[in-house]
Amino acid sequence: MPPKGKLPDAVVADFEAWVKMGAPDPRDGKAGTTGTGIDLDAGRKFWAFRPPRRHAPPAVKDAAWPRTDIDRFVLAELEKRGLKPVAPAAKQDWIRRATFDLTGLPPTPEQVEAFEKDTTPEADKTVVDRLLASPHYGERWGRYWLDLARYTDDLGGTVGPVAAPNAWRYRDWVVKAFNADMPYDRFVRLQLAGDLIPDPATDYSERLGGLGYQGLGQRFSGNAVGMVKKKAADELDDRVDTVTRSLLGLTVSCARCHDHKFDPIPQADYYSLAAAYNGATLSTEVVLDSPQNVAAAEQWRKDVADRKARIDKLTQAEARRIGREELARVDAYLLAAFRLRVLAERKAEADPEAVARDDRLRPVFLARWVKLLAAGKPLPLLPDWQTAATAALKVAGKDGAIEPTKELLGETAKVKERVAAALREFDAGKKLSAESDTLLKVFLTNDGSYFRLTTLEVVPLLAPPLRKEYDGLAAELAKLNQTPPPPQPKGSAVTGGGQPMRVHVRGNAEVLGDPAPPGFPRVLTKTGAPRPDTFTRLDLANAIASRDNPLTARVWVNRVWMYHFGRGLVGTPGNFGALGEKPTHPELLDTLAVRFVENGWSTKWLHREIVLSAAYRLGGAADPANAAKDADNRYLWRASPRRLDFEAWRDAMLAVAGRLDPQVGGPPFLDLAGQKQLQPEDPANRRRTLYGFISRFKPNPTLTLFDFPEPNVTSDGRTVTTIPQQQLFALNSPFVVAAAKAFAARVEKAGADDGARLRLAWRLAYGRPPTDRESTLARDFLRAAATDAGDGLRPWEQLCHALLTANEFAFLP
Amino acid sequence: MFPAPSFGLPPSRRDLLARTGYGVGAIGLAAVLGSNTRAAEPAARPLAARKPHFPAKAKRIIHLWMNGGPSQVDTFDPKPALEKFAGQRPESTAKLTTERTTRGLLPSPFKFTPHGKSGLEISELFPHVARHADKLCVVRSMHTNVPVHEASNWMMFTGNVQPVRPAYGSWLLYGLGSENENLPGFVVLGEGQPVNGPSNWSSRFLPGIYQGCQVVLPVNYQPRDVLANLQNAQLAPASQRRQLDFTQQLNALHRDRIGADNALDARIESLELAFRMQASAADAFDIGREPEKVRDMYGLTGPDADTSAKTNGGFSRATFARNCLLARRLAERGVRVVQIYCGNLQPWDTHDKNAEGHRQLARVVDRPIAALLADLDQRGLLDDTLVVWGGEFGRTPTTEGGSGRDHNHYGFSMWLAGGGVKGGLAYGATDEFGFQAVEKRVHVHDLHATMLHLMGLDHEKLTFRYSGRDHRLTDVHGTVVKDIIA
Repeated sequence: MPPKGKLPDAVVADFEAWVKMGAPDPRDGKAGTTGTGIDLDAGRKFWAFRPPRRHAPPAVKDAAWPRTDIDRFVLAELEKRGLKPVAPAAKQDWIRRATFDLTGLPPTPEQVEAFEKDTTPEADKTVVDRLLASPHYGERWGRYWLDLARYTDDLGGTVGPVAAPNAWRYRDWVVKAFNADMPYDRFVRLQLAGDLIPDPATDYSERLGGLGYQGLGQRFSGNAVGMVKKKAADELDDRVDTVTRSLLGLTVSCARCHDHKFDPIPQADYYSLAAAYNGATLSTEVVLDSPQNVAAAEQWRKDVADRKARIDKLTQAEARRIGREELARVDAYLLAAFRLRVLAERKAEADPEAVARDDRLRPVFLARWVKLLAAGKPLPLLPDWQTAATAALKVAGKDGAIEPTKELLGETAKVKERVAAALREFDAGKKLSAESDTLLKVFLTNDGSYFRLTTLEVVPLLAPPLRKEYDGLAAELAKLNQTPPPPQPKGSAVTGGGQPMRVHVRGNAEVLGDPAPPGFPRVLTKTGAPRPDTFTRLDLANAIASRDNPLTARVWVNRVWMYHFGRGLVGTPGNFGALGEKPTHPELLDTLAVRFVENGWSTKWLHREIVLSAAYRLGGAADPANAAKDADNRYLWRASPRRLDFEAWRDAMLAVAGRLDPQVGGPPFLDLAGQKQLQPEDPANRRRTLYGFISRFKPNPTLTLFDFPEPNVTSDGRTVTTIPQQQLFALNSPFVVAAAKAFAARVEKAGADDGARLRLAWRLAYGRPPTDRESTLARDFLRAAATDAGDGLRPWEQLCHALLTANEFAFLP
Repeated sequence: MFPAPSFGLPPSRRDLLARTGYGVGAIGLAAVLGSNTRAAEPAARPLAARKPHFPAKAKRIIHLWMNGGPSQVDTFDPKPALEKFAGQRPESTAKLTTERTTRGLLPSPFKFTPHGKSGLEISELFPHVARHADKLCVVRSMHTNVPVHEASNWMMFTGNVQPVRPAYGSWLLYGLGSENENLPGFVVLGEGQPVNGPSNWSSRFLPGIYQGCQVVLPVNYQPRDVLANLQNAQLAPASQRRQLDFTQQLNALHRDRIGADNALDARIESLELAFRMQASAADAFDIGREPEKVRDMYGLTGPDADTSAKTNGGFSRATFARNCLLARRLAERGVRVVQIYCGNLQPWDTHDKNAEGHRQLARVVDRPIAALLADLDQRGLLDDTLVVWGGEFGRTPTTEGGSGRDHNHYGFSMWLAGGGVKGGLAYGATDEFGFQAVEKRVHVHDLHATMLHLMGLDHEKLTFRYSGRDHRLTDVHGTVVKDIIA
């Protein structure tokens, strides 16, 4: 029964203490909830946690249709369901589809023509080989990976962006890895733990450049009241979430607060895995070079700093000794400078060197005092002396004596006395009075003090043994400066980690439960496998990039399939767990996963398997009979129309307009002067969309409008939305208008004949000639548009703009 | 990734164009909210208006965000005890630590008087708003998690102290669509940039089109420039229409060749919507079309136009009043959520000279807010428009440095008006000094749950499947505050 009224404070305090302890069961004293009802052995039987097996291609009725093994799996499934594949795509459609899919750009009219003329059996393969060898391949597929890696060029922020100036090196590393067809297991291993791989590398930018995958993870604000531990836990969770969803298709983060509700992942397993990142520096940079070179560069910097420090020490000690000595004779300097000032006033000849010699003064200080008096500005701590000097200068007049007045002599003596008093204190090593402290700062010790020599000034005054030592150091420094280490680029990275954790009770970082033995999620390890003592990022990488991992190859094969077909064999590419979809073609997925690993984890091998299949070649025709049975085309009886993502659509406009800057890699795009960050919608920006500045702090509104993924979290794939503001961009943006104008200029070069121009326009934009109907409509339009001379676009420009705006330009055939 | 489009009898182009107006979309909320995998998203018209879970009291929200955190004890939560214990630090508040050190209690220099039939007590800072006392539901027992702006801004707008969840405006658009597809459905008006910037209205894992559309307009703006690419600089409307007709002819031929497809049709329709949006959006943002007496009422023009009403930080009456008037025009046109913030960064953050700061700020916002309430009311819009006023937290009744007040997440006031809430009500209470909410406490999650409820949505059922689980605006929290609902 609930008590009547509030519990006594002491009882409430007891409850608070109990909750903080992790709410242990009073009967056995066990805290936390790591003991679970999850049956791991039963869990291991779930399809996705069993190792994939290679299956023989099934028998099919229509033996003529399949071109590859993939096709036999696909056709068997179609036949089983009474579905019939539609006719294959026309050659021009296939090459357009393949070119966009593999490079994110349209084929040129020449490439289409060459392919149509090529009747050899290898024609398709020739095209695919050419596309896979193109540097634009890595740009296309690298971007897909960057979606998964939540790539960004800044780390968010609250009042301004937190810079990540080297983020782009990770982006370029990814592009390069795809272009080089880096084996996927290695690709994963380097991104998780390139820095921990013990054997030496030949190329350290390759070895370490992938660490940005986690180094560019989320960075939260929270160095404030009650937020510090939560911030650290949230940043750790970002790494766990990204690794497990993007690489394993597993939502391990669900187990942060409690056992996973649907998958066999106990809460403790979350913290077991998170240990790989616990204690790590999560958002840092590393030099992309060998440990030896990094050490050598560090040694060089140390040597330079050491020589500079020694030179400073030597010269400054001497400078202070000389300054101290001369300061005691401040009166002699003041009076000599005064006399020289009088002579200068009279425009009489004077030789400061001689005066210095006669009075045994240091010329460097005398010159300084002469200059100070000539400047006439107020002299710190010497206002009375200065007043007396100014008066004396007047008395000295044009033909008076150059000797100082009595008053000036008196003031000079006062200065000498003040200095002497301060120096007595100074020499006695006592704590200085405020007055002496100020005086010495102004006269001796601060930079720019009256009697403080600079290094340059003191060098000529060094006694021979010191001078020799100085010359030796200076020569060493000069030599070092002649051989600086080569510039060492840095990359974003995570370093360290591997510290075992305790369970956060209910996900609360302030309340710790039982220790979580470090290691990989148990459902993905063998029954009874011993738990390691430590679990580093390298251990994590090895557990993922392993042929024994049932998920890694399946998940990646599925993603590649999805980017080619618009839908994965598993429709939930980031969730292979119980709440994810079951594969439409489980045996095909498994067989591809096994063969992918057998073929050296080669992604390019996988592209060839897919793109050269009959399934990929299907036409896009609708078919009511098929649609009635499989409206969503899950079983691949046709090619569903796929809208181009923003990158491919924008890049295609640049390509068709003849404006695309093909440069690969480098910092986020700048204007021609290399100054301003250009946005993707700037007409002056002719680089591929990939090279835009991706901001977490201030997302580019055009990218957001066109379904660009939120760069804070790993993204499984683009949502596709259709709203009018997207169409406003197509209809009105200066970027599209500029592309239309350049496109028209290109078309008009085809000659005066409208037919030739229309053919070129259609071949450039759509990879095919216009139909008769289209030609007629186009001619009608050109005629009608010609009647409005006031328009800012000429009829051909309007026509080309319309071609870029139309659906055929936005959808793959 | 696009959900595989479904077939069925394709609507003709004429059908398509006929239903591009203000009607309720063909796809019910169930399609979005029911089984709710991404594949069930309404692909064709993601912004089409959808039916709520149950009849809604409010159709739209205007949120007036006093960024920085106004002081409750100087505005809507009178605390006479502050006078009596001035300078003292009562034992009951000793453990209430905030961002910085505060010392003794600092009484409010502002006089509170009862207003309206309800006798709701409001300080002299808001004489104009006070005339609407009987419309206001002041929640005096608000509280939030931490005394930090960044975290509390995100909490107020997204329900989480980190920037990882969609804004409540995005949730509403996702759940309800917009009543006007010719305008962005979630608009953020202001001047300068508040702390956290666009992450306060990010759609995060919801589709990007549900993101808040920030519109920061200079004093002399052209309505045709308010949204990106709203106008065609090259073609006269008739020529553009002719060009679009040509484009649509090509689209029809393309569609004939491929066969009907939702994705293709959606874009065909969307081009028409965009064409019309050029005129309708410019019209919505054209306050020149308002009669003079309306502009006078907001204090933009006329005898009460106070051009000197400006804070030291430059936050001005002229901009805020205009944004309030724009909010009404947008609400009138069916925009689902309008948020207005007060100037750059956080003007209400009065760590120093709290009284002077509040005096300046109230002079900027009081009259326009009152005008907005009156204007909505006159047009019958207040009944189904929920107006929300408040900061991300409040301020301490104790003083920081003698004249200032620190952040206070333990207790603060917000008020709601219209949209199905009870007027003339002071709900809940802070302790006798106004430091900590003690009676009928309302967390920001509860506020969110209540706002969704008023909009006809069950905060436990408005979910989105992401990263392996269903997410909600209120996460695992939130209770609808039924007592404030009329």
